[in-house]
Amino acid sequence: MGNQSAAAGRKSHLQHHFVNEDQQFESSKMGMWIFLVTEVLMFGGLFVAYIIYRAWHPDLFYMAAQELDVALGATNTVVLIASSLTIALAIRAVQLDKIKAAINYLSATLLLAGTFLVIKYFEYMDKFGKGIYPGQAYSYEGIHHEMAVNFFSIYYMMTGLHGIHVLVGMALIGWMIIKAKKGAVHSGYYTPVENTGLFWHLVDIIWIFLFPLLYLID
Amino acid sequence: MSTHHISTLPTLLSVAGALLVLTFLTVAVTWINIPEPFNVIVAIAIAIVKAAIVAMFFMNLYWDSKFNTIVFLLSILFLTIFVSITLLDTLFRDAGLPIY
Repeated sequence: MGNQSAAAGRKSHLQHHFVNEDQQFESSKMGMWIFLVTEVLMFGGLFVAYIIYRAWHPDLFYMAAQELDVALGATNTVVLIASSLTIALAIRAVQLDKIKAAINYLSATLLLAGTFLVIKYFEYMDKFGKGIYPGQAYSYEGIHHEMAVNFFSIYYMMTGLHGIHVLVGMALIGWMIIKAKKGAVHSGYYTPVENTGLFWHLVDIIWIFLFPLLYLID
Repeated sequence: MSTHHISTLPTLLSVAGALLVLTFLTVAVTWINIPEPFNVIVAIAIAIVKAAIVAMFFMNLYWDSKFNTIVFLLSILFLTIFVSITLLDTLFRDAGLPIY
């Protein structure tokens, strides 16, 4: 049990209802996975709405997707992949007790997440400028289809919920930076960093599906 | 110990590299005109491969207790049930039910 000898001399995080640190770690991670399942199903509702509307109006989805900027969407995909890499590197650094490197990698992840939201902000502002709003506020004349608003309502709900998850992820990563600075995570106990990583990778996975489904309709 | 797998640097970098290549590929396939149902199938297939790579090697499912993989796959199974049963209604509505 290498991790326990490494943890020796540090404050034990073991709760009395677990057999040992490993079982506690495994249980916490399993709990995180079950939470991620509920996340998949929450986004699932929006994916179902997308699939139904695309099956009903394939021509609309083709026309409306031309309004989205593929270059910005692709840039954001690359940004999120890079942030997934940096948070994986942060976890590796914590596991190896390189706390300073871990803080740098977490800060890089935070910066990349911020970049994603800034790009998203410019995309939204460009749409709002044309009168492309969700629901009844929609006033854009450029798409000659009576259901045009439906594509953008789905677009705003999917990217909006995803954006909220990016914000939550940034808050969690910021919290992990504070924890690392306090010396509260190390090779013997890094459960919160691991679970934050799992959350962040799921946010990445959801974007991996949103990008081709919304931007790349040809 | 499998509980605390530490990924090597080359693993993490090559996973990120593979994801970038697949991202380029998913954009590149839109430049050639693939006929209607297959363009969606190709786009989703690439996305599934990317998601699987992230789940296996960034989220460590490959080295983890297999129970976590089962939990994750169950969410996909239930999503598939959700999609297919809903489509059984909405795809066959020409018998007078409105579409929106």
